[in-house]
Amino acid sequence: MIFANGKIYPSDVQNRLLDALPEQICNTRETQTLRCETVIQALDRMSRRIAAGEFTDRVADPELRRQIGFAAGRLTQEALRLKVRTELGDHWEAPHASEPFPGQPTFTVQNVPLGVILHIAAGNMDALPAWSVIEGLLTGNINILKLPQADKGLTIEFFRMLTEQTPELRDFVYIFDTPSTDIAGIRRLASLADGISVWGGDAAVSAVRQFAPVGCKLIEWGHRLSFCYISGEPPAEELTALASHILQTRQLLCSSCQVIYIDTSAQKDVLDFSEHFLPYLEAAASMHPVSDLGMAAQLTLRRRVQALESVLSGEVSERRIFQGEHTSVTACPDSQLELSELYGNVLVKPLPRQSLMRELRKSAGYLQTAGLICPAGERAKLTELLIRCGVNRVLPPGRMSDTFLGESHDGESPLRRYIRTVNLL
Amino acid sequence: MGARMRLFWHKEPFDLEGTERLFMAAILQNAAYHMRHCDEYRCIAEAEHFRPDLVQTLPDITKLPLLPTALFKRHTLFSMPKWRIPVKATSHGTSGNFSRIGLDTGSLLAGLGMVLRMARTRGLLSLRPVNYIILGYKPHRGHHMAVMKTAYGSTFLAPALHRVYALKPQGDTYQPDLEGVLDALQRFSGQRHPVRFMGFPSYLWFLLQMMEERGMRCPLPPGSKIMLGGGWKQHYREQVEKPVLYALVKRLLDVDETEIIEFFGAAEHPILFTDCPYHHFHVPIYSRVLIRDVHSLEVLPTGQTGLVNLITPMLNAVPVTSIMTDDLGVLHEGTECPCGCKAPYLEIIGRVGMPDIKTCAAGASDILKGVDA
Repeated sequence: MIFANGKIYPSDVQNRLLDALPEQICNTRETQTLRCETVIQALDRMSRRIAAGEFTDRVADPELRRQIGFAAGRLTQEALRLKVRTELGDHWEAPHASEPFPGQPTFTVQNVPLGVILHIAAGNMDALPAWSVIEGLLTGNINILKLPQADKGLTIEFFRMLTEQTPELRDFVYIFDTPSTDIAGIRRLASLADGISVWGGDAAVSAVRQFAPVGCKLIEWGHRLSFCYISGEPPAEELTALASHILQTRQLLCSSCQVIYIDTSAQKDVLDFSEHFLPYLEAAASMHPVSDLGMAAQLTLRRRVQALESVLSGEVSERRIFQGEHTSVTACPDSQLELSELYGNVLVKPLPRQSLMRELRKSAGYLQTAGLICPAGERAKLTELLIRCGVNRVLPPGRMSDTFLGESHDGESPLRRYIRTVNLL
Repeated sequence: MGARMRLFWHKEPFDLEGTERLFMAAILQNAAYHMRHCDEYRCIAEAEHFRPDLVQTLPDITKLPLLPTALFKRHTLFSMPKWRIPVKATSHGTSGNFSRIGLDTGSLLAGLGMVLRMARTRGLLSLRPVNYIILGYKPHRGHHMAVMKTAYGSTFLAPALHRVYALKPQGDTYQPDLEGVLDALQRFSGQRHPVRFMGFPSYLWFLLQMMEERGMRCPLPPGSKIMLGGGWKQHYREQVEKPVLYALVKRLLDVDETEIIEFFGAAEHPILFTDCPYHHFHVPIYSRVLIRDVHSLEVLPTGQTGLVNLITPMLNAVPVTSIMTDDLGVLHEGTECPCGCKAPYLEIIGRVGMPDIKTCAAGASDILKGVDA
């Protein structure tokens, strides 16, 4: 399905719509201005309609309904105003005079939309494609969204309802279901854009870098990895919180803990901690059972193959697995940040604080959250060091996925990237 | 004649009890053969303290070294020099990797017995000439896919007038040609010779959908049959409920559900499972199926879901005596099926692995793998 001009079209008219799009977009840019307040009011109404069940009544999956309910809470005018204010400041749309400086004339400085943003969204969270477009709308941009393959049709339905309710938004949202394999189609979309906002893994980001026209601004939201850093004797309640976060998120989020680093260079400490931590994970698993049979089976098969390969090669793995009934802790001798086996199977590695910088720099650009467990007197110093290493969030272990209104995303204010600042005399 | 040959030429393909001693003797010989001739197999067996003489009665088969099919995809394991292996086959590698499997002369002879017995259970052996529509790969030099060989082999169960293929070689790859299949289907539909379909259920589904969109109906001559196997390949998303497929077959091709025969097998376990009229895969005498716990690999009782462990003494060329597939399945008591066959039957529930959607954390690891390289 394609969404354009406030209407839904079948996928096979894509090229016909693309033929008309450049002219349409030029017209919109020439004649229409989208005010932030118009968007906020429109979304606030949508948020109330969703809360009243107008949207979720067609969603069967209760988990998805819950997620939509949560997302709708972020669309109230109070929430949106806070977001815009935090990221762009008050009166960001209003022209203002430049700072006076002796011998230089006073310029007028104004924030304006980037223009046209192509959003290439990932399929790992259902509300993500819509959210990316909403950020583009708040900053007054024309938005072209390339839907992820896994989209369930809700994104189009959301914008159909929104533009029907507030027709001023109609010429600012286009949605295409162009498959990622249709390179020619995606190139045509990209040729219209002033900026490309891409969400996803390595492959998605480097593909966009290949075809983005020179001069087109790239706004990359790549995947990230998170870890927990433990220095000193960890209190039991902190370990309980960490274990429960690991099981609750099933280690599937960018902010989920994949590796637990111990501030030590002695492998014995790593082994001791691994053994000590397993009962915490097992207890958390009984509170938040991981019922995915297919995942468990895959892990078991992989372990079996690894065991047989180590028999065949005669090489003994230096990793030691502490296997529980539903979870496992693997003690490793190396310090590399890597993805765990997910679903309650965490890695434990040594990383003395003297090596933090050198080791974490190898993962520069992929660091997100560090859960930190340490004596109170060391917290400030270690937090500072983790930030210097490139970590963007330092939080208590049980709250590694906590968010707040107006938060930065991977160290940036997203809305800032969707505007440009012009100077007039 | 050895235990294996007597087992595979036994008259009753579901007489599990009557052939138990034969099966155990064949398994013992087979495991011992692989230990003598395959260094890797012996190495694994010794590490797990396995000796062939530990396998005496049926419950002992749980002790056989259990090799995941993934191991065959990463290592080439043979118990014979390549020149002694007349037929080489590969799994069709949905994810890009494939196993290399070989059939030795003895297993080919054994397999012939099995195919004749199993085909007879669903009335597939006939002298009446038929037109074949293969919803799969056309044989081509350089390609060794087991599904292709099975499909081609199936066209000898009744004499072939014509063979039409849905996947045709083009350069190094295969291209689907469903238009060509539709043309042939219209031609065959008017003739008096029965038509036999053989191949992937996904292609049958696509074909039927094309027919429905165009308002086409091609009633097939009496005696026509539809043989399906090889799974849904990469088209898992399109997988449809069997009754929906059967109803569409009846409406568009006028073939009764009883004439739809499904096969199950794997390159690493080349036992021909044919379904009963109720479309259940009863375990034939050539094979034993164990379902194992997804965490502990302990053997589960019937009715519980787990990893599928397939055991057969058929092959000497490769040590596939006891393999574990990527499938999740359940074993049911034979008495639960109204067809009368007492052998338990295997139901495949799905595949191991992550659900469709990729997590953001998993995506990041793809990136990090390149960092040190």
